[in-house]
Amino acid sequence: MKKKVAIFDFASCEGCELQIANLEEAIIDVATLVDIVSFREVMKEHDDAYDIALVEGSIMRPMDEKRLKQIRGNAGILVALGACACMGCVQRMVNQWPIEESMAVVYGKDNPQLKENAFYANFQTKALDEVVKVDAYIPGCPINRNEFIRILLALVQGKKPALPDYPVCVECKKKENVCMFESGKFCMGPVTRAGCDAICPTYGSECEACRGYVSHPEEKAHTEVLEKYGLSVEGILARKSMFTYRYQEEKKGVMQ
Amino acid sequence: MSKMKAMSKSDFLQLIDVLIKDESLEVHGVVAKGTKFVFAHLESSSELRLDYDVTILPPKKYFLPQYDSMMLFALTKGIQVEGVQESKKKVIVGIHPYDIIALRQTDTYYFDTHVDDLYLKKRKNALIIGANVTNVSKKAFFGDMNTGYADSGYDLMVTDLGDTMTIDIGSKEGERLLAQYAMTRDATHDEEERVRRIIEEASAKARRTLQVGPGIWHDLLEKNYTNDVWKNQAEKCLSCGTCTIVCPTCFCYDVNDKVSLNMEEANRVRTWDGCLLRDFTRVGSGEIFREKTEDRYRHRFMRKGRYLPDMLGFVACVGCGRCSSQCIPDIADPVGVFNMLSESQGMPLEKSTMTPLSTGGDIAVFQPREPLYIPRPATLIRVEKLTEWEILFEVAMDDAKPLGHDPGQFVELSIAGYGEAPISISSAPGGTTFELAVRRIGDVTSRLHALKPGEKVGIRGPFGKGFPVKDFEGKNILFVGGGIGLIPLRSLILYVLNNREAFGEVSILYGCKRPCEVLFSDDIAAWEKRKDIQFLRSVDRCPEGECWDGEIGVITCLLPKAQFDPENTIAVIVGPPIMYKFVIRDLKNLGMPEENIVVSLERRMKCGVGKCGHCQINGVYVCKEGPVFNYKEIKEQPEAFS
Repeated sequence: MKKKVAIFDFASCEGCELQIANLEEAIIDVATLVDIVSFREVMKEHDDAYDIALVEGSIMRPMDEKRLKQIRGNAGILVALGACACMGCVQRMVNQWPIEESMAVVYGKDNPQLKENAFYANFQTKALDEVVKVDAYIPGCPINRNEFIRILLALVQGKKPALPDYPVCVECKKKENVCMFESGKFCMGPVTRAGCDAICPTYGSECEACRGYVSHPEEKAHTEVLEKYGLSVEGILARKSMFTYRYQEEKKGVMQ
Repeated sequence: MSKMKAMSKSDFLQLIDVLIKDESLEVHGVVAKGTKFVFAHLESSSELRLDYDVTILPPKKYFLPQYDSMMLFALTKGIQVEGVQESKKKVIVGIHPYDIIALRQTDTYYFDTHVDDLYLKKRKNALIIGANVTNVSKKAFFGDMNTGYADSGYDLMVTDLGDTMTIDIGSKEGERLLAQYAMTRDATHDEEERVRRIIEEASAKARRTLQVGPGIWHDLLEKNYTNDVWKNQAEKCLSCGTCTIVCPTCFCYDVNDKVSLNMEEANRVRTWDGCLLRDFTRVGSGEIFREKTEDRYRHRFMRKGRYLPDMLGFVACVGCGRCSSQCIPDIADPVGVFNMLSESQGMPLEKSTMTPLSTGGDIAVFQPREPLYIPRPATLIRVEKLTEWEILFEVAMDDAKPLGHDPGQFVELSIAGYGEAPISISSAPGGTTFELAVRRIGDVTSRLHALKPGEKVGIRGPFGKGFPVKDFEGKNILFVGGGIGLIPLRSLILYVLNNREAFGEVSILYGCKRPCEVLFSDDIAAWEKRKDIQFLRSVDRCPEGECWDGEIGVITCLLPKAQFDPENTIAVIVGPPIMYKFVIRDLKNLGMPEENIVVSLERRMKCGVGKCGHCQINGVYVCKEGPVFNYKEIKEQPEAFS
């Protein structure tokens, strides 16, 4: 029996779903490997009977929580798809301030919608696993297509959907890139989970940690390196807050 | 040795272009990448940069590629394995002498004991055109290491004299290549002199402030295992693996099965791994044997300066300076570390003759070998559930040859598309089939648990050193098995019980966490009935709903109850890592001499043949020298029971 797969999204740019839609010829193999029963971005059909739910986006409102719990109830396996679902991504930066303040800045202090419209009932950004149990993670902003295929295959084969637990530097060095630090850039690669094949440094941009940290990041040593290469304290904090503010929050905002 | 040849620079570049145009060849050489250099496919001789200082990665990538396909499985046709076809003959242009010496070291390592056929094939399929160093990189210290000159290990070695290139011929193949494609003349005496000077000048420049030459490293490391240098330096370590990846003498690898999206094929791929990475020593149960950054940091230097020298007779550093320049926190530099160690060292040091030069492993003498990694097909004959977590599999090799194992050895069990895992053999030697008792823990074992009698698996082995049964004959034996430690121990217990008259008093102590985890209950029932052995068992606890009529407590609670003469008994201990410390302490307190204690240790035995590097306890390869060790010997290794 082929596994039935449904794809959903919450607060996100839907770019991870686009990565799936953009698999090109491989999409046919994906559709052969599993039955896709729901995928709003590319198809009209929808069915609530599915084994695997791939969920993009972060959770921002009570209505999101309710819907996510429904999906969890339907799915045998729930996969967090992309940085928003895995850790809250860039919209988690908002958690640095009380949500009322942010809402007032964005929508205007006296905007009646804030009180009247349930779509505006935002709370602070949550990742999926802060609301429901998550069985597998496909990190990245956006996800890496090869890793998506690998994790999907693992789930179909009954293997552990394991992610690499070493830094991006490993893949970056294997590709023979000139180190970003040597090019005068400040790179998050040494603490960031590999699996992206170091795509940003390969194309000349520093890693910004969109895949989150490895399980035991050498943060202190990394911060020292950033300082040594001349990054200011504000710069360090900004880099550590862009994709990965969740880690700052979980350490109660103490910068390591 | 034939005389040095010479040709004009333009003729030499023309030669390279001719080689590039030859469709039977694939020509690679050093090219610029930004402000750095790399070995890459050459499109034209104009890209070639023989004036380079050092490349980002060493040429090991041609012989142990970052992602190296080991074999292909056709998943839809049962388990069909195919070796991987080699590509066109490669010509690699511009390898510096220190990298050639590093390749000779890699040869020695990869041809030692078990010849790695994948590596050998790639080595034989390449022609090496070396180049003497004309520009020295800032961090290079090959002058200190005496690796600025290679007298062998290449087919041709060129030196750039400006308008002229001189060429040393290093092999018959190099000679043929030159004869076939180029017109050369003998080098003049003056040109030979200039080559000599270039080599000398490069080596003189590639000296840093290394206060202790490679001959001292071994002794220095031996005396400084616990130096604060390790801890202080490791505090700055990113555990990013860069120092191992860029190192020409780091050659550890990991293996994964990559399944095609249509699920028709699986590709078993090996990829560079490094001992600085946290997961390097992780075993199926989740245990990590070198968890502290400090321990991993030290291991790399120990391996370069002490473990590999002990094993193969060379210092595994050629002074290329890649780690020194590419480590961002700047803690990987051997010059810095050895100087720090020597400064903190009060005692005089002993000098050895050890250098980076490797004498063994000449590729010319190694002929194509049997595939080292392709598993032999085998069939599951019987599947018997032991507990909720463990299943016993009786396995027969499809070629009907007996496995021929000793008690305590292990096999690598392979399931196409899932991977390979080391499994200890739990049946006695002999017989046409063998037994594997397997806990469901990772991808391979979980898949194995889903297989039924008649289904196929792959087997490599048996591997490792088993129990020295001949030494045990006539002696009293005390078996101490904890948890799944009983699995390897059972192969020896069954052997001893089958040959009961050859041994003295026999006692078996077995403990596990709770009654539902008891393994081999049929065997245990039989052992309990036997009058000619003593059998005691315990569980750590007996939760409600389970029943137990033996002792309750950790396994050491059985020791005072067992009747044995500590001074005249061999104790054989297998269990979880934590158990050894306590059992051994109690046995020693009872008066048992250390040399009477035998243990079997678990580590991550990925390849089984001493290549992948994961199973090392300090310098000891568990897959080759273990898993069975005499306690008195192995306890000298600080990592054995830490």
